Amino acid sequence: MSQTAVVQIFKALGDPVRLQIVQRLSNGVPLCMGELSKDLGISRQGARKQIQALVSANVVQLHPGGREVKVQLDAATLAQGRDFIAALEAQWDQRLQALKQFAEQ
Amino acid sequence: MQNVIQRELTINASAERIYNAIADAQQVVKWFPEAVSGEYREGGQAIMSFGDIGQSSIYIEAMTPYRYFAYRWVPGSNHFVGDVRTVPNTLVEFRIEELASGGCKVSLTETGFADLPMDIAEVSYGQNCRGWDFMLQRLQQYFSTETK
Repeated sequence: MSQTAVVQIFKALGDPVRLQIVQRLSNGVPLCMGELSKDLGISRQGARKQIQALVSANVVQLHPGGREVKVQLDAATLAQGRDFIAALEAQWDQRLQALKQFAEQ
Repeated sequence: MQNVIQRELTINASAERIYNAIADAQQVVKWFPEAVSGEYREGGQAIMSFGDIGQSSIYIEAMTPYRYFAYRWVPGSNHFVGDVRTVPNTLVEFRIEELASGGCKVSLTETGFADLPMDIAEVSYGQNCRGWDFMLQRLQQYFSTETK
């Protein structure tokens, strides 16, 4: 797994608008660009820019087809992000066990 | 996607004992870094040494006896020594709560991963893995000396 890719994921998700876009896609159903851009509190152009940032981080994929482009979550990328955090969590678990053993002796 | 690490465990010791294990420079080296230098106090800057792995600067954000201890660092990095507040960092927080049933609940959170620039996070991830191997070794050494 590329660490650069993982960090890109976290950077991509470190923005409230982009996080909201991801949440709207989180049930796995692809949405049209237009639909996805509604009620984000920013212009359509701004929304398009944010979606493009998610594409660059491979968080979402674009599927051209019919009259409009559809946007879908990239499940494989999100799984990488989870793995990264899981590894750090495992380290803390071990450190906390060391703290426990030390404090309880 | 989470930008937070959150862990929790029960430790069968008093809040004071647990707090001191974290906040006392002479005790924290028994289970976490090999050595601590600098100002290990609230508002102070200290350096945690992990043997051959390297050193990490920390900035101690808060020390509230026997409940709370928080510091900032660039996670696991062996190359960042300096004022961590001048670079993107994560905040590590320990919270200690006494349980009615005896012992304490200890919660740990680390936040701020999304703010780390790519190059630092990339390096720190690799370093963290090696860092833990080192820590395990230290712990084993510590307990084997204790029981001798």
